[in-house]
Amino acid sequence: MSLPRCIYKIIENIVGPDNINDKEHILTAYRHWSPQSPQKPPSPAAIILPGSTQEVQSIVRICNRYNISYMTQTSLFGMGFPGPGTVILNMRRMNKILEINETDRYAVIEPAVRHVQLKPEVLKRGLNYPTASVGPSCSVLANFVASGDHHTQHGSSRVSRYIQGVEWVLPTGEILRLGSLGNDAGWFCADGPGPSLRGLMRGWNGWGAGLGIITKIAIGLDAWKGPRELPVEGHSPSYKIHLPRDCHRIHIFKFPDLDKVRDAMLEIGKAEIGFAVLKFFYATEAVMYTESANDFWELWNSGLYQKELSYALWVYLACWSPEELEYEERVLQDIVDEIGGEPVQESIRKKYEDNPDFFIMVSFLQRTLKLGGGWSPTKLGGDSVRHMFEVAKSIPEFFYDFIERGEILNAPHNFQIIPMEYGHMAHIELLFFYDRTIPERRQVTAAISLKSMETDIKHGYHAATPAHGKTMMEKFGPLWSNFHVWAGKIKDTFDPNGVSNPAP
Amino acid sequence: METLKDYIYTMESCNSCGQCRFILGPKSKGREFVEICPIYSRYLYESYSGQGLINTAQELLEGTLGYGDELIKHIYTCTTCGACDINCKSVRDMEVLDTILALRAKCVEDGQGPMPEQRKYAEYVEKQHNIFGEDHDQRFGWLPEDTNLSEGADMVYFVGCSTAYLYPDIARNTVKIMHAGGINFKVMDAEEYCCGAPLWRTGQLAEARKLAEHNLETFTKQNVKTLVVSCAECYGTFKGFYPRIAELDFEVLHITEVIQRLLREGKLKLNKVLEMKATYHDPCLLGRLSELYIPWEGEIKAFGYHDPPKKFRRGTNGVYEAPREILKAIPGLELVEMIRNAENSFCCGGGGGVPTAFPDFSLWVASERLKEAEATGADVIVSCCPFCESSLSNAIDKSKSSLRYRDLTELVVRAI
Repeated sequence: MSLPRCIYKIIENIVGPDNINDKEHILTAYRHWSPQSPQKPPSPAAIILPGSTQEVQSIVRICNRYNISYMTQTSLFGMGFPGPGTVILNMRRMNKILEINETDRYAVIEPAVRHVQLKPEVLKRGLNYPTASVGPSCSVLANFVASGDHHTQHGSSRVSRYIQGVEWVLPTGEILRLGSLGNDAGWFCADGPGPSLRGLMRGWNGWGAGLGIITKIAIGLDAWKGPRELPVEGHSPSYKIHLPRDCHRIHIFKFPDLDKVRDAMLEIGKAEIGFAVLKFFYATEAVMYTESANDFWELWNSGLYQKELSYALWVYLACWSPEELEYEERVLQDIVDEIGGEPVQESIRKKYEDNPDFFIMVSFLQRTLKLGGGWSPTKLGGDSVRHMFEVAKSIPEFFYDFIERGEILNAPHNFQIIPMEYGHMAHIELLFFYDRTIPERRQVTAAISLKSMETDIKHGYHAATPAHGKTMMEKFGPLWSNFHVWAGKIKDTFDPNGVSNPAP
Repeated sequence: METLKDYIYTMESCNSCGQCRFILGPKSKGREFVEICPIYSRYLYESYSGQGLINTAQELLEGTLGYGDELIKHIYTCTTCGACDINCKSVRDMEVLDTILALRAKCVEDGQGPMPEQRKYAEYVEKQHNIFGEDHDQRFGWLPEDTNLSEGADMVYFVGCSTAYLYPDIARNTVKIMHAGGINFKVMDAEEYCCGAPLWRTGQLAEARKLAEHNLETFTKQNVKTLVVSCAECYGTFKGFYPRIAELDFEVLHITEVIQRLLREGKLKLNKVLEMKATYHDPCLLGRLSELYIPWEGEIKAFGYHDPPKKFRRGTNGVYEAPREILKAIPGLELVEMIRNAENSFCCGGGGGVPTAFPDFSLWVASERLKEAEATGADVIVSCCPFCESSLSNAIDKSKSSLRYRDLTELVVRAI
């Protein structure tokens, strides 16, 4: 479905002729059938590259006037997909780091600033921010306004809690500035005076570009206890980064069962030690820390990871001083001894010591795609640490069926549980791999999600993430207290013409 | 040789993750100089990227996209620098650059490519065995008469078209260095034909193959055991293209590797002081694209398993250390690195036939590289490829930059 020429011309007048395009050879990259998707996306009608908030606002108003649906994309590697006839606002030109405030510890960024850009800028100032597990080439802003679980949330929090001032072009084209920004008081706070809209803007999982366009955002920064520049040695993909061992240490402990992993996680949180604590995916780990798919298979078929990492806990200690590290290590060792854990094979731990960027910027996350590209996460919900482990124990109820039918990789323990804020709550994610070269296997993602949700409902668990899109919300809403009714009201109020990524 | 259909796995496996557009995350130093793909940096749309080109290739194969002038321009704007390929391969088992090259070959096969300006390479090569249409008899016109060549040597200095006709000083300096190191070598005289790089990289495979076959035959006839080159394009072609034609039974060395060996063996001393702050530009085909191509035939099974196992060229073992070791050995020379260096080097804009067909874009790319070099505070940008010299020197002239370009062989000769 093409964009009428008269509307194309109007938008061209806003952004300039170089910044709108609807030629077929340009659209190819935006309609590629990704192996992670069950269906081929329809072709967008045009790609627009706005260069400022004002241009975004003008485009959005035009879309409202002529009933053209629109959505944003920056990194492409996302979960928001256009419907037929949608124009994509690719935010690529809005890529400035507007401010890094070292005193009040926040950074103000535009949508196309990537982790590969912002992370080193803040590290060199002795600061850091929670980095979603998406890989360095992805948009920081997109991660903060959608999903955004990460490996170091034990010592920090979910990224949504780090959102501060926000500049938001509403679905109708009005500009809303949240929190302190709305009062011309700076970027330091997203809430008040008055009721906060942060929940509406973001919620648990974001709106998948369905509630307007965030054009600027401030994110909170934490202290970074490591070197101002990552000491990288060697060449891709065999590079190594060795952080000072007297202040940085990574441990992986195995336990007899999942309950012990949980107990250790809770105790470590109670002691408020550790920069990162997580029960990580064991198969994903094997994919991420091997160079090729063949290397993965060699490792996986050896059974080492199944033996060592089925009930394991990863702990990264990052300290200001050797004395602090010594203290944290002693506390950690006491907890592990008491609960009955022991170190996993040294070769596994060493990989993390050589590449701690796994924790800092999740540098090689895209290796997860290495098994042909067929993968999917499910659950992605959050609740208390104890609750998340209960959920984990229910995974075999539905997961083994898919494994036994050969539809997914045989990795029943490939889930992660990451506490946040020293254990106030936790996040769970179940990740599976399928062979995307068999066309029908792409449908397994929806089937597993459904079974997963049914299991949650059966047990009264709170672990699944509400899906994006009206159709999906209506389908699954009744399973979650009819949340979709409220979501629909919010959507209709903010987007009366239904043009902001109505979604398929 | 592989055709586009051999890369269906790559096309279908792409998750649009973006890794092909940016340098390796931990090697970034900040907001600037992180984009790695010249066409992505200049034209902004995602279609202008490694990912975009493999998406285009897939649609062409599947018939959902048809040829047109704009599409051909799009495909041929890429400098084939391979930055997308190496960064993709930091996380995946995909062949992005080979897909792009196969896409160009398909364009030629279908009578749609290359760009008209690039067709002249083949015409010139047919007549004069070089890409410029210069007199073949003058290929070694630069060679001083008193050069001491060893006819019985099994080492050959392969000069290459660009060095022979445009930058003969590189050739003269190479010869001086080899003499200073006491190396016995010869040249191929009239039997040296273009290595085929510009034809290979613009998809004119039949013509490139003819050149390769001629040169390989000559190497055999002349009992060549070691081939020394001073051009990165030649180097990358011998190691990346020739093994697709026949198994190499000779060693290929870039002059920087020769100098490195001479320095390590104490056969060459760099004593003279050259006071300068220099930054080194890694040529694509000497750096990330210089690993030996190893042919692979087999099946890609479920979950990406390659049967038999495939040896991927991931850019890990490019010629990165030799030039740096040499520069550090020159007294008075301070080496400072650009952010995008080694496997993450940003292209100079001189490859893929781009300077011929898209000179303005080529100049833009080189100017971007100069900005990065200037940001280091260096006063000299050093490299070791005549194509890089052409692009970077042109950009220096056009931008009136205070930087000076120097080929590494010149600095070595001055420091001896």
